[in-house]
Amino acid sequence: MEKNYPPGDLAIWIFILAELLVFAVFFSAYAFTRAQHVELFNTYQQTLDTNAAMINTLALITSSYFVMRAVAAIRKNRQQQCVSWIVAAILMGVLFIVIKSGEYAHHYANGINLRTNTFYMFYLSLTFFHYMHVLMGMIILGAVAVKAHNGSYSAREHTGVETGASYWHMVDIVWLILFPLVYIMR
Amino acid sequence: MNSTNDSEYRYPIRPCTLVYVVLMALTVITWLLGKTSLTGLSIALPVLAFALFKGLLIGDYYMGLKGVHGLWRWAIIIWLVVPGSMITWAFISAS
Repeated sequence: MEKNYPPGDLAIWIFILAELLVFAVFFSAYAFTRAQHVELFNTYQQTLDTNAAMINTLALITSSYFVMRAVAAIRKNRQQQCVSWIVAAILMGVLFIVIKSGEYAHHYANGINLRTNTFYMFYLSLTFFHYMHVLMGMIILGAVAVKAHNGSYSAREHTGVETGASYWHMVDIVWLILFPLVYIMR
Repeated sequence: MNSTNDSEYRYPIRPCTLVYVVLMALTVITWLLGKTSLTGLSIALPVLAFALFKGLLIGDYYMGLKGVHGLWRWAIIIWLVVPGSMITWAFISAS
C-alpha cells in the first residue's frame, strides 16, 4: 500500500534533507578540489587505512539492518525485541566510533592536522562532520531504546522509533558515498 | 520496511536480509577494488556506481521510501543523482 509521507515525523525528514544537502556540497567540493590536485590527493589517500574504513562501512550497514528490524519488531508490538535490535545497532555505532577514533589518534600521533595539506583538510573535516552525526544518531537511538523499554511505543504508535531509524539510515547513506569517495576513488 | 512483515514473508530469505547481504557484498567488492593497482575512471566509476546503488537500496528498503509516492519517493534518489553526477563530472574532468 503506497503512503503519502515517509515513515517517522515529517520534521526529521526536513532535517535529513538539509543535512544531505550539506554533505552533497561537501562531496562536490572534495571532488572538484581533487580535480585541481590529483597527484596530491592520490598520494595522501594511500596513507589512509582502507581496512578500518571497510570494517566501519560493514558496521554501519549492519547497524542500519538492526534498526530496520527494530522498526519491524515494534510494528508487531514486540517491544523487547525492538529494544534489543536498537541496542545492537548502538553497539555497531560504538564499534564505528572506536575504529574511527583510532584512525584520528594515529593521524594525530603523526602530526597530521587540518593545516597539513588540502587533502587532509577535506578528509579530516568531512569524516569528523560525519563522526559527529554518528554520535548524535547514537544518542537519538539511546533515547528511543529507553522509551521503547518503558513501553512508550506500540504497534499502533511508534513514530518515535521510525523517526530515530530514519535519522540513523541517513547517517549510513552518507557514509556509503563518503567511504569510496575519500578512501577508494583515485 | 513493510517487506519484513511476516504476512508478506513467503521467501526463503527476507527481502530486507537479502538487501543486507547485497550491501555487504558490494562493500567488500569496493574494498577489494581499492586494493588493486587500478586508477582513474576504470576504478572510480564502478565504485561510485556501487555506492549509489547501495544508497538506493538503503532509501527504498531500509528507510521505507519504496512504498511512498510523490516527491518523498524521489528525495533520496535525487540526492544520490546530484552529488553522484557532480563527482562523476569532477573525476572525468581530472582524467
